[in-house]
Amino acid sequence: MNFLSLHRKIERHSGLLIFGILVVSSIGGLVQVLPIVLDDSHSAPAAGLAVYSPLELEGRDIYIRESCSTCHTQQVRPLLAEVKRYGPYSRAGEFAYDRPFLWGSKRTGPDLARVGGKYSDAWHQVHLLDPRAVVPASIMPAYPWFAERDADQGRTIAARMRTLRMLGHPYSDEDIAAAPAALEGKTELDAVTAYLQSLGRSMQGAPQP
Amino acid sequence: MNYEDRIVTAFTACAVFWAVLGMLAGVYVAAELVWPTIDIGLPGLSFGRLRTLHTTLVLFGFGVSGLIATGLYSVQRTSHVRLFAPGLAWFVLYAWQLTIVLGGASIMAGWNAGKEYAELEWPFDLAIAVAWVSFGIVFFGTIARRKMEAIYISNWFYGALIIVVAMLHIVNSLALPATLGKSYSLFAGAQDAVVEWWYGHNAVGFLLTGGFLGMLYYFLPKQAEQPIWSYRLSIVAFWAFVYTYIWAGPHHLHYHAIPEWVQSLGMVMSLILLAPSWATMVNGIMTVSAAAKKLRSDPALKFIVLSLAFYGLATFEGPMLAIKSVNVFSHFTEWTIGHVHSGALGWNALITFGTFYFLVPRLAGAPLYSARLANIHFWLALAGIMLYVLSMWGAGVSQGVLWLSLDELGEVRFSFNDVMAAMKPYYLLRFVGGFLFLAGAVLMAFNLARTFAGRRTVTVAPPPAHAARGLA
Amino acid sequence: MPARFSIFSLVKVLFRPKAAFETLATQEPPATRVFFGFALWIGLLPPLFAYIGTMNFGWRLGVEPVFLPQRTVFAISAAYFVALLLGFLTSAVIARWMAVTYDASQSLGRCFALMAVVGAPLAIGSVIHLYPHAFINVLVLVPTLIWSMYLLYRGLPVVLHTGPNRGMLMASALIAYLLVAAVSLLGVTVALWGSGLGPLIGT
Repeated sequence: MNFLSLHRKIERHSGLLIFGILVVSSIGGLVQVLPIVLDDSHSAPAAGLAVYSPLELEGRDIYIRESCSTCHTQQVRPLLAEVKRYGPYSRAGEFAYDRPFLWGSKRTGPDLARVGGKYSDAWHQVHLLDPRAVVPASIMPAYPWFAERDADQGRTIAARMRTLRMLGHPYSDEDIAAAPAALEGKTELDAVTAYLQSLGRSMQGAPQP
Repeated sequence: MNYEDRIVTAFTACAVFWAVLGMLAGVYVAAELVWPTIDIGLPGLSFGRLRTLHTTLVLFGFGVSGLIATGLYSVQRTSHVRLFAPGLAWFVLYAWQLTIVLGGASIMAGWNAGKEYAELEWPFDLAIAVAWVSFGIVFFGTIARRKMEAIYISNWFYGALIIVVAMLHIVNSLALPATLGKSYSLFAGAQDAVVEWWYGHNAVGFLLTGGFLGMLYYFLPKQAEQPIWSYRLSIVAFWAFVYTYIWAGPHHLHYHAIPEWVQSLGMVMSLILLAPSWATMVNGIMTVSAAAKKLRSDPALKFIVLSLAFYGLATFEGPMLAIKSVNVFSHFTEWTIGHVHSGALGWNALITFGTFYFLVPRLAGAPLYSARLANIHFWLALAGIMLYVLSMWGAGVSQGVLWLSLDELGEVRFSFNDVMAAMKPYYLLRFVGGFLFLAGAVLMAFNLARTFAGRRTVTVAPPPAHAARGLA
Repeated sequence: MPARFSIFSLVKVLFRPKAAFETLATQEPPATRVFFGFALWIGLLPPLFAYIGTMNFGWRLGVEPVFLPQRTVFAISAAYFVALLLGFLTSAVIARWMAVTYDASQSLGRCFALMAVVGAPLAIGSVIHLYPHAFINVLVLVPTLIWSMYLLYRGLPVVLHTGPNRGMLMASALIAYLLVAAVSLLGVTVALWGSGLGPLIGT
């Protein structure tokens, strides 16, 4: 049976067509995606990688809420100019606790993978509330509501940490129990600042190229 | 029984509505990149959320509604049978539009799953899955009931759209809910990246390419009153397309923290993909050319034929950008945005507009209200696309080279902020281009509304069954 | 329009394209005359302007100007010239190749002349290369390009005797080719820059 006569059968039988499409379209994923997903070496945390603290986690979830990844990447490529500009290039192990990953696909603003420790908390706070106060030519939106809103207004931090624990993040019962208190008196501004300060810290002290 | 076409009219109207609203959101965010304070302090208008609203509305509001409208119209006519389970089709209409409305509102309110083109949170993912499976049942049910022996090629493409997008959506949306509006992805870090771009690239592949190729394969021969130029080419192109596209995802992750072999494989398969993509384009161009002698002057055809040119551009530019030595410059820059929009505006929007200019007069049983307005739309669209794409090419190549530029001492030459500031004029030009494109779409909405005004969808009966061609 | 198609027709071509198209519809200029008498000369303008502009002002991409060594600028300008000529020749030849399918005039000279008229505004507009500020060049040349595309749609049916419908189809097919050629040029350019023919970069 040659290809054309096989196809005569497929195009006269909707079940065969559906099955054919399913099989043919699955192959790529099975060969390319599945091995990566099943291979733990791509999900093993880097040495020294800490899981996000409650405040940092809240900041990360706000970062996702505001879709900051639309303009900011978190992935330093192993290119000379990039490493000179941002620091050591990104390794897979740094992102073991990133659900979802926030590598981004566009740099309207600078890459943030190694922004932790580069600016003071005060700088971040001024910048987030009004970017043009510190970078006059900036086109970043202002986030004045960060200062007006309490961190974890919905009181969901414990539930979120429990869910992450189910997915393998090493939060203990004590960590989760202490989380609401840790966010007491904090604003969203504190949370986002804390998250930004955590970025790239596991690689601090790594040798420059 | 007559064809069920009122559902086609309804989905078409929704598609036009979302096109205008989604592009308006796009023009607004383009303006925000020039004048960042026009979000006037409102979280819902903030760039990050509004851009997400823009992509959601144009892809899932405009794109999907247009695909379902044209898919339901063409599956009936290629099967010579009335739609299977029309009640379920109406459910899909309402469920889908409700999902877009509520989903869009949720994004403005801050619900966000954090993955590109899959930002709607888990309740909406479930709703999408239910609506999508229902659409599949209606579509394949109609095919199963067909009076024509062979399944026409446009239905293979719409079918691939349905099956593959279902697979992609389900896997990429796998997450554990923590609250009603917040879930965490099953996958993390590098693994999540590979899964996301397997989904993201094939959302482009099967939704924006495959589904619209289905549209092309039905509406182009219909318009040209000419069968597809090469049947064999269409078979080979289809299966090569379904097979190859899936592998291309990792070209979004060149020089990222994923294994080298995955990147290289993604690059090679992206290059191979050029062949089936262009095979279809050639098929389309040759079909129209064969009919050239008998064509009437028709704005609809102008749109569809030009869309093929942009299809050729986008499916060439894609593999080219997937080459690592080009990607080094283009990644993370405006060039990617230019590429996306040459495809989205030049291919997807133009072919849909052309198809609607063909379809709506037939649904209405009346001629198009104004061919002149449609011609003005054509030039507004073309001018808008060229302004958009060329300003983004200029910006993107500038960014790429400036970010990588070193001085004589081997240090980075230009600060990020300086390069960012240099992009502003390009953003302004892009805003103008997008505005022109939107203006054209508004003209179309007016034109189509006037064409249909005061009428009801015309009812048409399938041709009588042919014993020789029919199924037993 | 004089009987001979030459560089002296430039003014007519730019300011009265409709008359130029109608005249060309009745003529069959030899392809060599169109190329060596007209296209080659106007095709020389963009790389010439680019060379002069870059040597004097450097590439201005919105930040401090990037100055390149004279040898590099010359090489890039020469490559630009070759690319333009190749683009012109291939477009005209492809138009001739498509002529069979679209039942168009099969005169190669007419195809050359059509592409020359269509490309002339861009060649003249390239005077903006004298100040190689990237955005200003985009601002001037994109509307010029849109005008050229309009000329193609208007001129092709007249010059190549296709009638409006076939003319529209053939023009769209040519635009497909031109878009692909343009983006290929972009890709080849950045790939060459990455290999050292261009600004100093660190990949």
